Amino acid sequence: MSFIDSSISHLGKVIKSGYIQWELSSKDGFFHGLDARVKMLFLIFFIIIISLKKEILSELIIVLFIFGLTAISRLNLFNFYKKVIPLGFIFGFLIALPSSFNVITKGEIILPVIHFSKSYDFWIYHIPETIGITRQGISGVFMLTLRVFNSIALSFLILYTTPFSEIIRALKVFKVPDAVLMIITLTYKYIFIFAKTVEDVYLAKKSRTAVKIDNNDARNWTAGRIVFMLKKTQQRCDDVFKAMLSRGFSDTIKLYGFRKMDSRDWTAGLFLFFAGVMFLWI
Amino acid sequence: MHIPDGYLSPQTYVPLYGASFVFWTIALRKLKKEMDAKYVPYLAMAAAFSFLIQMFNIPIPGGTTGHAVGAGIIAILLGPWTAVIAVSVVLIIQAIIFGDGGITAIGANCFNMAVVMPFISYWIFKVIRGNSEKGMRLYIAAFLSGWLGLLIAALITAVEFGIQPMIAMSPDGRPLYAPYPLSVAVPAMALEHLLVFGIIEGVVTAMLLKYFFKHEPDLIYALHGGAR
Repeated sequence: MSFIDSSISHLGKVIKSGYIQWELSSKDGFFHGLDARVKMLFLIFFIIIISLKKEILSELIIVLFIFGLTAISRLNLFNFYKKVIPLGFIFGFLIALPSSFNVITKGEIILPVIHFSKSYDFWIYHIPETIGITRQGISGVFMLTLRVFNSIALSFLILYTTPFSEIIRALKVFKVPDAVLMIITLTYKYIFIFAKTVEDVYLAKKSRTAVKIDNNDARNWTAGRIVFMLKKTQQRCDDVFKAMLSRGFSDTIKLYGFRKMDSRDWTAGLFLFFAGVMFLWI
Repeated sequence: MHIPDGYLSPQTYVPLYGASFVFWTIALRKLKKEMDAKYVPYLAMAAAFSFLIQMFNIPIPGGTTGHAVGAGIIAILLGPWTAVIAVSVVLIIQAIIFGDGGITAIGANCFNMAVVMPFISYWIFKVIRGNSEKGMRLYIAAFLSGWLGLLIAALITAVEFGIQPMIAMSPDGRPLYAPYPLSVAVPAMALEHLLVFGIIEGVVTAMLLKYFFKHEPDLIYALHGGAR
């Protein structure tokens, strides 16, 4: 049942990454102490700036800026970039790399790779006489890689310095309805509870299994556990609703307010805002 | 199929946020009206279930394993409007908590996987199933609903990628966002979803429906034509 092992291991990683995020976000660095609203506004503002920038140099300056913020937030830089770089490499560089060839992006060839005796045309496709990497193509690949890299780094910076509950409450700044925030919060908690239940169910099954199970039986077992989980989640949903009613829930959802922003939040917020405006101009 | 940040231009991701927002608003109003105060824990339950379906890797005949997006089976089991919110919540949590899928692309990802896929899957299931209450036709309907639901969602994703070189290119011809034109993005996404991922989605949808039908038929929304 190796495929179930891999599923359970995936679930384990989900639980672990949730807890790791929680642990890292409780340290005392520059970003950790800031009001979550400032951080969420900063995240959205900068993600939009990153998506608007059209020059490699601008993205490179933002790389340095995020590196600086990560460093003063006292996050473990090695662990941080160990996670960010592979994601940026895969989703940015590797996926975009074929587009650097003149078959996809026309332009000035800077590195010829294959030379044919003549060019070929079939249907809507054109194969040129010389296939190679173009200046425009490779420039586009670097641009996309840096943009993906910056977006991931920025998201992880906020993720590693802000507890989940604060991220959700800060979404109120963007006028997300309380009911939606409540659904997201409950879902997040259910995920961990059910992930743990799935893990326990699997371990119980494994401990009672002495022979090798074929794929058909394994498929049936997995489908059965998914049905069991839906029953369990529905039961849990009823229990939670009864608990909500017994505590006086009457369809009016009210999340607790925020603490008052102090001078540090305002100063950091203004600094990040002006930095963002500057990045918009460069 | 999770689009990361950086692939879509603002001209694309802003309207897709708007389109998803319309469906979120209708779905929430509809569910709140029908379920009263219970809609909050119910939708959270549905979203957690949707997340868990994506966690299970299931062996597919032929020696491979895969996991489903699950939007089709959620729509069949709980109704398409419930699926809109459940899958959207999962995609939002994946984007802001696990860094899976971009923040600017939340609207696009939700539109593709939480709006297009559940409705297409649900209606394909309803049409092919016809009046059948049991038998092979039901499972064929489930397979095709998963397969075609994912395929059409993938094609729409491919169009979103493919139009980027047309709407966002620097003066010297450098692509600014997703670099592949429609002539590359559409066949690439269509082929891999037609031959691999769509089949996985179809098999998982049919397999889960089979098990639900055998053991918990009352839980299947699409068979009872509920109001949600």
